Amino acid sequence: MFCSRHESSGRRRSSSPSSSRGLAASAAIALAIFLSGCVEGPLPAPVRRTGDPIVDGNAELAAAPAKDRVLWDYRIAASALRAGQYDEAKAKLDDAITRMGGIIANDESAKKARSLFANESDKTFIGEPYERAMAFYYRGLLYWRDGEPDNARACFRSAQYIDGAAVQENYRGDYVLFDYLDGLASTKLSDDGSDAFARAQTLAKHDLPAYEKDANVLCFVEFGRGPQKYAAGQYGEQLKFRAQQSRIHSARLIVGDQTANFTPWDNLSYQAITRGNRVMDYILGNKAVFKQGAEAVGDLALVGAAIAADNIYKEPRRLPPQVGPDGRLIPQRPEVEKNYDAENAAIALGVIGLIGKVAASATTPRADTRAWENLPQYLSFSALKLPAGAYPATLQFVDAQGEPVADLTRRFTLNVTDPAYDTVVILSELKR
Amino acid sequence: MNTSLRFLLVSSLVAGAAGLTGCATSSGVPNPSGVPVTEMKADERGFVAGTGIESQDLVSVTDKMARSIIAIPQIARAQTPPRIVIDPVKNETRFPINKDLFTDRIRIQLNSKATGRMTFLARDRMQALEKERALKQSGQVTASSDPNVVEFRGADYFLTGKLAGLTTRTSAGTGDYILYSFQLIDARTSEIVWEDAAEIKKQGLEDAAYR
Repeated sequence: MFCSRHESSGRRRSSSPSSSRGLAASAAIALAIFLSGCVEGPLPAPVRRTGDPIVDGNAELAAAPAKDRVLWDYRIAASALRAGQYDEAKAKLDDAITRMGGIIANDESAKKARSLFANESDKTFIGEPYERAMAFYYRGLLYWRDGEPDNARACFRSAQYIDGAAVQENYRGDYVLFDYLDGLASTKLSDDGSDAFARAQTLAKHDLPAYEKDANVLCFVEFGRGPQKYAAGQYGEQLKFRAQQSRIHSARLIVGDQTANFTPWDNLSYQAITRGNRVMDYILGNKAVFKQGAEAVGDLALVGAAIAADNIYKEPRRLPPQVGPDGRLIPQRPEVEKNYDAENAAIALGVIGLIGKVAASATTPRADTRAWENLPQYLSFSALKLPAGAYPATLQFVDAQGEPVADLTRRFTLNVTDPAYDTVVILSELKR
Repeated sequence: MNTSLRFLLVSSLVAGAAGLTGCATSSGVPNPSGVPVTEMKADERGFVAGTGIESQDLVSVTDKMARSIIAIPQIARAQTPPRIVIDPVKNETRFPINKDLFTDRIRIQLNSKATGRMTFLARDRMQALEKERALKQSGQVTASSDPNVVEFRGADYFLTGKLAGLTTRTSAGTGDYILYSFQLIDARTSEIVWEDAAEIKKQGLEDAAYR
């Protein structure tokens, strides 16, 4: 309390210090209530883990707030896809696409996320464009697997469309695989896929294989670990992506006497990084500026309050001794003067300082770092021609030296049931 | 306590109250009482909407197509009800959809409004029908007629359709135009005896929190 050192002064008005203390106490109580009001409710009970990513993911989904529903849908779908639980993956992707496939407008959670005093992570999660695009991509693979290449094509088109939000034009809609598959689906449907192929070839860093309408085994291979999000900047207001160096550089699928090589066609880390600034980044930047400003105002006002408080009581003035009636000198008691303007200024600045500090601490510019964590880094594709039958197959993931990584080599049986329909094979380095 | 002090106290209390109000909304559960189920008509635009294909589009397009087909001379003046096979529509948009919804609704509309003037053949059920015929031929189940005589009908016409789309995306929002076109094709001559289309365009702009 900035006026406590003067409590023993003789000439102060009896009501002033107590009213100042009362004010300060009121402000402190108001602050305490204010801050306690911001404390979130009890956290949900932790989910008991079983080690099965689909079971655990569903348990997390059941316990998660509605705003995180799509996030869990994404994660479970990827795990289910890798585990061969295609119906589960479809259900989760359909749920996610229903939520994020439309136009989100007049949404309360989004409006709240834009406000000064709410986190961006309060909004309903639908993910960054690379995450949304991957949901459509995976759903497209499953449509194709179900014998619906036109719906698969629709998904690849939606995925490419989602990437159209990149700030720089040369990074918009620049997935090679989505355009290539768009054209391949068109070719399979006896439409013209040449435009899509040409677009894909322009984007690709290598020569793409020409479409073969009768190549009936479509192999989709993914490897590496996808981009990770983190919050940078003074207040964590900048959403950034960390790309991990993958030890796997390519893959190889050996089926009988046929070998398909899989080099990266698309890199999700590159897609995440080249998206450019979001509109939300400007909003978070403004929040950060407000927070910084409120903190500065709070600091200045509190310093000013302290200086003003120092000037409430002037130094005692020593009065010269008076000469008494008997001619003796009578010493005078020092006189203390109170500066009421300084007191008012100190209180006013103190309150302003507190409000500034409270406003600064309540402002939440932190970027939303919720992420679809089990995405791969690289996407690749190859098509084979195989008659109906069961084929022993070996999948190898190859490192930078061109050597297969032994612990990732996988053997499985590739079943081609009806050569008239495409067999879709989805293979991932990631286990969950 | 002088006037300025009182003013300050009142101001701080007001600020505190405002802060508390703000916190109450941010820390609480959104829609704590839930959102009651709202029953809507299938041809009505709901409050959950996108620029893609929605139920109201399906209803308006299939209604229009059914009305249009009934009026053509090949159907309206046919001596015997023509037999029609519905071929699945082809989706060329960027929106994955359940394509059967279109053909099912057109068939239902035509069957209910033009009773007897046309017949639809269940080609999508051929596998089950052939299995049943095989059972009859083998004598495992009874037959009301000679099962060895082919009675599966051939089609006079094919009814099919296509959904084509065009998407525009700018900073002002997203626009999706979809052309729903349907054709009735003579199975004998491959002539297109009827064709009609419906167009729907939608635009929207996402909340800034998602841009």
